[in-house]
Amino acid sequence: MSEPFIRIENLVKAYQRDTQTLTVLSGLNLAVDAGEFLALMGPSGSGKTTLLNLIAGIDRPTSGRINVGGKEIDGMGEAGLAKWRSRNVGFIFQLYNLVPVLTAFENVELPLLLTDLPRARRRKQVELALSIVGLTDRMDHYPRQLSGGQEQRVAIARAIATDPKLLVADEPTGDLDVKSGEEVLVLLERLNEEFSKTIVMVTHDPRAASRAHRLVHLDKGVLKEDIRAEGGKKEVGMAAAIAASAGFEPNP
Amino acid sequence: MRFFPLIFKNILRKRTRTALTIASIVLPLLVICLMGTFLKALDSPGSGATRGMFRLVVRHKVSLTNTLPKAYEEKIRQLPGVLAATNFNWFGGKYIDASARNIFIRFSVEPESFLQVFDDAEIVAGSVKDWLSDRTGALVGTNLAAKYGWKVGDRVVLQGDIFPINLELTIRALYTLPTGSSATLFFDRKYIDEAFPSFKGQVFTVWIKAKDAAAAERLPKQIDAMFENSPYPTKTETEKEFQNGFVSMLGNVKLLITSIGAIIVFVILLIAANTMSMAARERVTEIAVLRTLGFTRPKILGLILGESFVIALFGGLLGVLLFVAAEPSLKRQLMLTPMSSLVASMHVYPAILAFAFAVAAGVGLVAGIVPAVRSSTRSIADGLRQVA
Repeated sequence: MSEPFIRIENLVKAYQRDTQTLTVLSGLNLAVDAGEFLALMGPSGSGKTTLLNLIAGIDRPTSGRINVGGKEIDGMGEAGLAKWRSRNVGFIFQLYNLVPVLTAFENVELPLLLTDLPRARRRKQVELALSIVGLTDRMDHYPRQLSGGQEQRVAIARAIATDPKLLVADEPTGDLDVKSGEEVLVLLERLNEEFSKTIVMVTHDPRAASRAHRLVHLDKGVLKEDIRAEGGKKEVGMAAAIAASAGFEPNP
Repeated sequence: MRFFPLIFKNILRKRTRTALTIASIVLPLLVICLMGTFLKALDSPGSGATRGMFRLVVRHKVSLTNTLPKAYEEKIRQLPGVLAATNFNWFGGKYIDASARNIFIRFSVEPESFLQVFDDAEIVAGSVKDWLSDRTGALVGTNLAAKYGWKVGDRVVLQGDIFPINLELTIRALYTLPTGSSATLFFDRKYIDEAFPSFKGQVFTVWIKAKDAAAAERLPKQIDAMFENSPYPTKTETEKEFQNGFVSMLGNVKLLITSIGAIIVFVILLIAANTMSMAARERVTEIAVLRTLGFTRPKILGLILGESFVIALFGGLLGVLLFVAAEPSLKRQLMLTPMSSLVASMHVYPAILAFAFAVAAGVGLVAGIVPAVRSSTRSIADGLRQVA
């Protein structure tokens, strides 16, 4: 049996709030295979985003181990983690988080500025990423000149510009209408299938979760359910997603 | 280098604010350049000394308003190392009215000896002969003539106050000095002596042309020692020291100007720091996203400091260039005032420009440090959380 792409062991994350200690994740164990499309669901405060941040190396665990792509990231220093993120992780946010003063091209180029690639190679990479998301014709547009769906597609292009193996998405459809949300989900599926990206997606939306291969349901910092697609299907399906989301109120 | 476009785009994000911040640096920097240049001009050696003029001024030790016996002038003239001596006598009075705009320096002198001490004065219109032959004639500096549009042959009426007499003078010649300080009106003291016989035998100041630098250094002590125990003790100083004495009448001007300069620097530092803090606060999430993408703390620090530095440098450059452009016309205006002798040696000093530019650069760095450190050390998760 091959080594999982993401391996999490006894993960604990606690925050100190004045005199109180708030434990968000308590001894979590999780393994995600390479090429898997995983949806993280759970009520607000269940620890989904915290887990995502820990997997992506933008937060540090209180204890426990996190291995991503064969690299133990829990013990890495600040600079090492930054370098690791720039090469291995693509981020997709609910509110796109594009830099408003940069064009679509320049936004996608941002992570490439941290590489040693010369200008011509960077340009090629950006054009490739924008062509994958179908926005080559909008590369000179500023975020304010794009629709929400287009902004999110630019954000996805930025996430894949350095060709990372892992994509983490925090509510990628949370701020989109149904049509744009569907386009983003199709795009994520394509990145997973055609480009073998491992995707970890936090979502409240059963429609989005239903497209994942696997659905992990967190509650109060512990893994409550771990549902995988069955019967030869790729996706966990709407029924499982709705069942997983039952019992918690989605964020507005 | 590859991050420069990002820095510039961030600077242009709020154009009005950036423009106002730059303006808040430009204007104080102009003042710093002006004050620094003025201080430097005060400190620079008299241009006469550098050209071998070595002029000294003897006055009453107590005050400029106390007179000296005219006999002192003759005694001084006999001293070794004195090439020539003359006397200057303040007339005061008013021209047109008593407003500050119409105040200029008016001295009664003895024309022959005056021209010996000021043999560097160039007559550019009229003639010395005409001035010497007309008891009511006046020798006027070109700057002063230009201010009032006077020309040779024009009549100038001065209403007296210390000497209650209305002088009716005719301009007989225009002079200019190599220093450019040419904003004084000189007329023959015989005019005063005839109207006020009691003033005969008195002088306000004695001006000396020393033979050389050694004489110029020796003579002040020698002259002051000579009259130390007389009823009219003297104070002898170089022409430059004498002129700077007028500035010191206002108090410790150098300390005052330096203090004002320091306050100005501190104020622009606060303004720039506030602007940079606002700019960084508005972009907490954006900075967190950049760090998520792999921008390290030093890179974020560099980006924020870079913005602050570029804004300050641009403001500094603009301030310095504006001063360089404005200095000649500013000097022209000052040369028309009684301050002309003080500002005559004023010019654009590269050291002052460099200092002003360094102040701007320093302000840029210091103003950016706090927001830059805060932005780069804030937890990414906290920064991202501000989205929701």
